[in-house]
Amino acid sequence: MRWFAASFAALALFAQGAAADTFRFTAIPDEDQSRLVERFSQVADYLEQRLGVEVEYVPVKSYGAAVSAFRNDQVQLAWFGGLSGVQARRLVPGSQALAQGAEDAAFKTYFIAHDSTGLEPGETLPDAVEDMSFTFGSRTSTSGRLMPDYYLHQRFDEAPDELFSRVGFSGDHTRTIALVEAGTYQLGAVNYAVWEAAVEDGRVDTDQVQVIWSTPTYPDYQWTLRGDADERYGDGFSDRVRQALLEMDDPALLDSFPRSAFIPADNAMYTPIEDVAEELGLLR
Amino acid sequence: MNDAALPRRPVWLAGHAMGPRLARHSLTLIALALLLLPLADLSVTTRDPWAELGRLAQGLAWPNFSGVESPFHALGLTVSVALWGTLAGVVLGFPLALLFTRSRLVRAGCAFVRAIHELFWALLFLQVFGLSALTALAALAIPYAGIFAKVFAEILEQTPRAPAEALPPGGGRLSRFLYAELPLAWAQLAAYIRYRFECGLRASVLLGFVGLPTLGFQLETAFREGRYPEAGALLWCFYLLIASLPWWSHRRLVPLLLVAGAFLLGPWPAVDGGLLWRFVSQDLWPAPLLDGDWAGLADWFAGIPELGPAIGHTLLLALLGTVGALLVALLLWPLASRHFGNPASRLAGRGLLVLLRSTPELLLAFVFLLLLGPSMLPAWLALALHNGALIAFLAARHADALEPGMPGLPASGRMAYELLPRLYPSLLALLYYRAEVILRETAILGMLGVTTLGYYIDANFQYLMFDVAAFLLLVTAGLNIAVDALSRRLRPRDTPHEEACLR
Repeated sequence: MRWFAASFAALALFAQGAAADTFRFTAIPDEDQSRLVERFSQVADYLEQRLGVEVEYVPVKSYGAAVSAFRNDQVQLAWFGGLSGVQARRLVPGSQALAQGAEDAAFKTYFIAHDSTGLEPGETLPDAVEDMSFTFGSRTSTSGRLMPDYYLHQRFDEAPDELFSRVGFSGDHTRTIALVEAGTYQLGAVNYAVWEAAVEDGRVDTDQVQVIWSTPTYPDYQWTLRGDADERYGDGFSDRVRQALLEMDDPALLDSFPRSAFIPADNAMYTPIEDVAEELGLLR
Repeated sequence: MNDAALPRRPVWLAGHAMGPRLARHSLTLIALALLLLPLADLSVTTRDPWAELGRLAQGLAWPNFSGVESPFHALGLTVSVALWGTLAGVVLGFPLALLFTRSRLVRAGCAFVRAIHELFWALLFLQVFGLSALTALAALAIPYAGIFAKVFAEILEQTPRAPAEALPPGGGRLSRFLYAELPLAWAQLAAYIRYRFECGLRASVLLGFVGLPTLGFQLETAFREGRYPEAGALLWCFYLLIASLPWWSHRRLVPLLLVAGAFLLGPWPAVDGGLLWRFVSQDLWPAPLLDGDWAGLADWFAGIPELGPAIGHTLLLALLGTVGALLVALLLWPLASRHFGNPASRLAGRGLLVLLRSTPELLLAFVFLLLLGPSMLPAWLALALHNGALIAFLAARHADALEPGMPGLPASGRMAYELLPRLYPSLLALLYYRAEVILRETAILGMLGVTTLGYYIDANFQYLMFDVAAFLLLVTAGLNIAVDALSRRLRPRDTPHEEACLR
C-alpha cells in the first residue's frame, strides 16, 4: 500500500505542474498525416516567434476531435474547414474566424472518376454516375462531404445513398484519391487544392483517375480563435494572431495547408455553409 | 394411439443429454448463419487485394523502425494508460464487488457499463475531457470497474466458507473479509487483474484510433496511408510488448511503472465544470424530452437514421462472427496441442494463435478493410480469426490436460473419437462466453464503415449530435445485455470454470 500512496502523491504533484499558459493550435487532418507534426511544428515556431508566447501544435485524428479540442480549450486556435469551423464557433460563443486561405474565398470540389467508368469531364455530372460506387472524404468535411452532397441533391434530387450503389467515407482527401485511383470506389469527391497539389507532385496516376466535374465555388477553410484569447494572453492578442497569419509568406510554411497566402475572414462569410448544413441535417 | 405410430425423431433432435443438446446448438447456429448469409454484404471491392497484401507482408518482414516518430513515448503512454486504467478499475470495482450479490442496482449498473465498449466510452469522454489522459483512463476504468465487480464477486463467492465460519464470533465484517476471505481468493484475483491488464493494453492501443496519442495513433495513420514498413515496425513493437509482458510486469516492478507512467500521462486538462454539466444535463438528452414536448420527441425518434437495419446488421455480424470463430477454433486448436504434429509445428501453431489472439479485432478488421475494401467481409474475418484463435488456444491447453485412453489410434481417430468429444462442451462454453464480447466488438467495427450501430454512433459524434449518439449507445448496451443473458442460458453447464479470463 505504501507504493500506492506514493504514486498518488507523485501524480498529484505532477498534475499541478502541467497547467502553464502555452498557446496551442491544431489543424483538421484533411490530408496525408505523415509528418504532420514535423510540418506544423514549423508553423508553431513561426507563431512563437511572432507572438512571444510558447506555441505548440496538437495533432488530432479526426475533424470531430479537432472541434472537441477547441471546445475543451485544449487548443485556442484551429485551422478548420468551413463546416467544422461553424460547428466550433457555435459551441464556443465569442470565437471568431480570423483569416482564410487566398483560395478559400472561392473554394470548390472536384468529382473524380476511375478510368474504368469511361466517364469524361463535362459541364454537369452525367446521368451515368447512377448506381456506381462513391466515396466522400470525412463526414464533416465541407469540400469532401457537405458541398458535394448538396450539389448531388441539386442535380439528382436524391440522397447519395439512394443514387449510388455504395457510399463510403474515406476519412480524408488523400485517401479519397487513393481509393478511387485503386478502383475501390468508382467515384469520389475531393478538395480541389489537395487534388492539384497531388497532381503537381506526381503523387497521383492521372491515367487511372481524372476530374469529371467541378462544383461552383463556396467559402471554405479558415483560422478560428477562441473568444477568451485576449483575456488570457493580453489585450490585442487576437489582432496579433491575425497579423501573424496574414503576414505568413514563407512558401515552406504555406505549403503545409496548402495555400498561397492568407487573407482576412469573418464569421459572416460562412453563413452559406451554415445554411446548407442545416438543410442537409448535419447541423441543427 | 401408440408411440410406434409416430415417426421416430433422430436422437440429436430428441435427447436431453449433453451430446445431442450441443449438437443441436451448434447445428442451429451454423444453419442460422447459412440462412442469413445472403443478407450480408460480403463483396470484395478492391481491384488488386493481392498486391496490397504483398506490400503489407513486405512491410511486416522488413519493418522500418527509424521512420516512426517517437515510438517510445507512444509505447510508454500505451502502458501507462493500461496500467492506471486497470488500477482505477480495480479501485472502483472492488467495493462494488462486495455489494454485487446483494444489490440489484449495482448488478444492473455494472452490466450497463460493461456493455459499452471502451472506445465508445472514449468518444463520450472526449467531449468533456478532450484529448487527454483523463479521457483514456476513464474510458478504461469505467467499463473495467463493472467487469471487476462481477468477476471479483464470482471469485469471492467461490472461496471456501470454512475459514470464515471458524472465526471467533464478534469479529467485524472487515476483519472477516481481510483474514478469512481475501487471502483465499488473492491468487485468483491477482491472476484476473493481470489478465485484465493485458486486455487494457490492447484497448489502450485502440484508443489511438480515436486520437489519443497511444501506439494506435501512428499505427492507424501508417496503415491507412499504406506506409507498411512503419506500420510493421509499430506492430512488432506491440507484439514485443505483449510477448515480454511476463518480464516487465513483475509485481515488484509495477509500482515503479506506475510512478513513471504517471509522468507520461500529463498534461492534465483543466476540467470546465460548466461544460461538463452542460454535456451531462443537456447535450446527451433529446431537446424535446427536456422541454416535455412529446410530439416533438416522436419526430426526434423518427429522425434517427436506419435504426432497424443497424440493429439487424449488428446482430447478423455478431452471429456470423460467432459461427466463424467456432469454425476457426475447430480448425486451429490441433495446431497447438501436444497430441498432434511435431515440436516445430506446435511452436509455429502456438505462435500463430498467440499472434491472432493478441491483435485486437479492430486492428485486424482495419487491415482487412484496406486489403478487401469496405463490406462486412473484413469485419467478419477479423472477428472469426481473433476469437477463434483465442478459443483454440484455450481448447488446446485443455486438450493437453487430457490423456487419450486408446493409445493405438492414428491422429485422425484420436481427434475424432477421443479428444474432440471430450473437448467440445468446453469449447462451446467458451464460445458462448465470447458471444457477448463479439457483439460488443461488432458495434465498434462500425467505426470502420460497416453499417452496424457503431457506424451511426460514430457519425453522430462527428455531427455533434450527442443525444442521438447516446440513444444509440443505450440501444447497443441493451442488445449486449440481452445477448449476454441468452448466451448464459444456452451455455453448457458442468464445464471447467476457468474462463473468467474471456470477458
